[in-house]
Amino acid sequence: MLTPPDVAFLPLLPILIVLAGAISSTLLGFWVSRRTLTFINLGATVLSALSLGWLWNRGLTAFGGSLIADNAALLLAFVVLVGTLMTLLVSLDTAWRARVSFPEFDAMLMYAVTGCLLIAFSGDLIVMLIGLEIMSLSGYVLATLQGSRRAEEAGLKYFLLGAAGSAVLIYGLAFVYGATGSLNYAAIAERVGSVQGLQPQNAGILVGGALLLLCGFAFKVALAPFHQWTPDVYGGAPTSVSLFLSTVVKVAAFAGMLRVFAGALADAPGWHSVMQILIAATLIVGNLAALRQTNFKRLLAYSAVAHTGFLAMALLGTPQMGGAALSYYLLVYTLMTAAALAVVAALQRSEAGFQISDMRGLYYRHPGYAVCLAICLASLAGLPPFAGFFGKYLVFQAAFQNGYVWLSVLAALTSVAALVYYLRPAMLLFMPDRTPAREYAHGQRPATTLAVALGVAGVTVLGLLPNLWYGWGASPFIWTLLAGR
Amino acid sequence: MTFTDWLPTLMIFLPLVGSLLLLVVPKTFRDEVAGFFAALTLGVGLAIWRGGGSELFRWDWIPPLGITYSVQLSGVSLALALVTAFMSFIAILYAARRIPNPGPMLSLILAMETGLIGIFAAQDLLLFYVFFEDALIPALLMLAMYGKAGRMKALVKFAAYTLFGSLLMLVSIIGVRYLGGSPTFAMTDLKANLVDGPAQAWLYLGFLAAMAVKLPLWPLHAWLPDFHEQNHDSGVPDVMGTLYKVGGYGLFTFGIPLFPEASLELRPILMGLAAFTALYAAWIAFRQTDWKRLLAYAGLSHMGFVALGVFSLNETAVIGAMYLLAFQNLYTGALFLSVGMVQDRIGSLETRVGGLMTQAGALSGLTMALWFASIAVPGLAGFVGEFSILLGAYQVSPWLTFIAGITTIAAAAYALTAFQTTFWQARPRGGVAVRDLVHTEWLVLGLPLAVLILFGVYSAPALNLMQPAVRTVLAALGGN
Repeated sequence: MLTPPDVAFLPLLPILIVLAGAISSTLLGFWVSRRTLTFINLGATVLSALSLGWLWNRGLTAFGGSLIADNAALLLAFVVLVGTLMTLLVSLDTAWRARVSFPEFDAMLMYAVTGCLLIAFSGDLIVMLIGLEIMSLSGYVLATLQGSRRAEEAGLKYFLLGAAGSAVLIYGLAFVYGATGSLNYAAIAERVGSVQGLQPQNAGILVGGALLLLCGFAFKVALAPFHQWTPDVYGGAPTSVSLFLSTVVKVAAFAGMLRVFAGALADAPGWHSVMQILIAATLIVGNLAALRQTNFKRLLAYSAVAHTGFLAMALLGTPQMGGAALSYYLLVYTLMTAAALAVVAALQRSEAGFQISDMRGLYYRHPGYAVCLAICLASLAGLPPFAGFFGKYLVFQAAFQNGYVWLSVLAALTSVAALVYYLRPAMLLFMPDRTPAREYAHGQRPATTLAVALGVAGVTVLGLLPNLWYGWGASPFIWTLLAGR
Repeated sequence: MTFTDWLPTLMIFLPLVGSLLLLVVPKTFRDEVAGFFAALTLGVGLAIWRGGGSELFRWDWIPPLGITYSVQLSGVSLALALVTAFMSFIAILYAARRIPNPGPMLSLILAMETGLIGIFAAQDLLLFYVFFEDALIPALLMLAMYGKAGRMKALVKFAAYTLFGSLLMLVSIIGVRYLGGSPTFAMTDLKANLVDGPAQAWLYLGFLAAMAVKLPLWPLHAWLPDFHEQNHDSGVPDVMGTLYKVGGYGLFTFGIPLFPEASLELRPILMGLAAFTALYAAWIAFRQTDWKRLLAYAGLSHMGFVALGVFSLNETAVIGAMYLLAFQNLYTGALFLSVGMVQDRIGSLETRVGGLMTQAGALSGLTMALWFASIAVPGLAGFVGEFSILLGAYQVSPWLTFIAGITTIAAAAYALTAFQTTFWQARPRGGVAVRDLVHTEWLVLGLPLAVLILFGVYSAPALNLMQPAVRTVLAALGGN
């Protein structure tokens, strides 16, 4: 007997709105200017964010649980949309300079966001994979769109390594299916949790699957040693694209990891210890490599790697603590990284960003941008009263309380290196300088400034009153239901 | 909720309000506004003192994380907050005249004052950490904006050391609450849920890492001389730097009550380190030819004394340590400003200038009196502190106290030698004419000296303020 498919459009609403933006960019691109499209997409993003609020606490599902709009999904989707909003604002001003000012840019961006939202809303591995592939493929195009040697190299690297990562991921997915007989998170979690559901000979397959999944995700979020593409891609792509890749795409990949590891495979054996090692390696490699960078954009790329280590620590906490910590950290990370890269996008002379030594005395030339950048760097470094501090604090706490004391200590120690490399540019900004300016002369534009202001205001307000966000996200119920149980 | 409950909060955030206001005030009124806010803060502090200290004020800041905004200014914390407010006022008084385009500097001084008073007022471990880091940012910016050629290295060193310690402390803080099972980070809750066993010792070490850097304690002191040497010549940032020595205070307020067994266990080692720091720093100070480095090492030596007092866990010694901590900020701060004045006149920080006394009698005289306070001449506040520390620590460990005691002789040696070669001796031929004190400079050196003499002769008000607080803290040790 054939059962009719469970199609509900209501929980899909945020995704559909973004998708509508993407499709309209594709079609309307023939008739209207790109700026108009960007405004349409900005509207779509805001509408989508509003629809998230509307879905709050309803716990709707579609496609028989393959797509779930629970509160966890909504929180993560909100973070994705915040990053998208900032990317769009920055691209309004800089896309023309970066020679990516054609409708395809907007279309690809919005397709990527659609994929990101799908991952956040995913209720089974297939939806997650579809979202991940939509996101990745659009990402490869975005990275290459500029048509310069650097961008092509970045895009090709991203594509080759990303494809390898996807392949590993799909293989892992097949293993997990083989071991548990299901692709649905809830069903997997149930079989993994109960001994009867999982025969002993399947346990090995499950461990293998979990580890392959971990590898695949490690590629996507840039955990060491799978991080090597990051600096080249983030450094080589146009700055607005780097902004997008290092915030939105990473947030989405972490949303997937949260669903899979803290939800479906939470009780699976084996992956915890490997994850610990990967995190430790990421913290060490990311922070130490960033110390030696002379290009600010590359520095931010390595800092993104280092932050991956911190973010992943949240996955080692209990789902209740870790999920809440991760959602807060992701939001803060998006705000501060995006704002820092927005400043770079506004002031850089070429798409290579600028050298750290060029930042000397910026405060005396562009005081507003310099103060904002300094605040972002302080927040990235985890100095209170900015929100980066509470982000760091929360992941330390999540890992510590779940017994990973050594990892918390290691994270604290590697943070010292982080402080040094954030501090150097931050302090250079305020040092008096008599040499001629090395910024793009016409760098101050309203939309980029708005994006920077949004980031800095967010980081400051969330730092002083973390409860504004954490009060929503801290409820343990949100995160125990990750697997849709 | 009465008005007096709000006084500590007012005292903490008044300077920050002033600091932000300075950004929009027209240039002509900047000095006055900065001075007004600094004076007002001091006034609020004095009002709290008159009222006999404030009660604990508590507000749930981030309920899901158990972080509270708990502040209290009484006893030791009030004394240190008062000193901070007083010296910030002096620093502003001087910076306004001395530094060209002083706007950012005045703003940073006020911002730092907020962080510092917050450190002393915080009665919540995480709030303490927040203020602890907050005070760092203006200090770094002062160095970046007004420092000398080698500042980048000094800056990175300073930040790396400080944050190395404080991040370990952060892990400890998380551990103290989690392993003890306390519902919040407020001190009252933490004290009711102490961690015991070997975990306590490990957590204490993490906490100690931050405090030892700030104190600073050998071997974590290397940032200090560079920090002072590379700062602006006026000495204003150095004043704020000396106020930043919260290590002794942190160990006293948080270290002893939260880790009583560990502090007893580690007492001999820590006292040894402290005594060594005092002597070692005095020895190095003897060889310095730069006034700022000399003062930096002198300060380090004093901090060795403070540490000796705190680690000895003896009532007399701890009171002495807190007394010294408070007044060391006064005389070392004033001395940094006096060095700045000398630099302003002759353009050098060299200790072998010669003959300043002949032309600038008042400057030399006041400086000498301040140095006397620094080397603990009786009748000045430094003596009360050092003597109490030695008296108390002797009852715990005579030999280590003897070693630390030698420092007082060494101190006299380095201070007087440097003073002699700068202010006495013959003025070199062709040296510039040296102007004596003018305008507010009299106040800048005179006011701290007056306070030092007052509390050197009549120490009862300060001791009465500190003694109950010290007794309460040491009661945590259970009669040891």
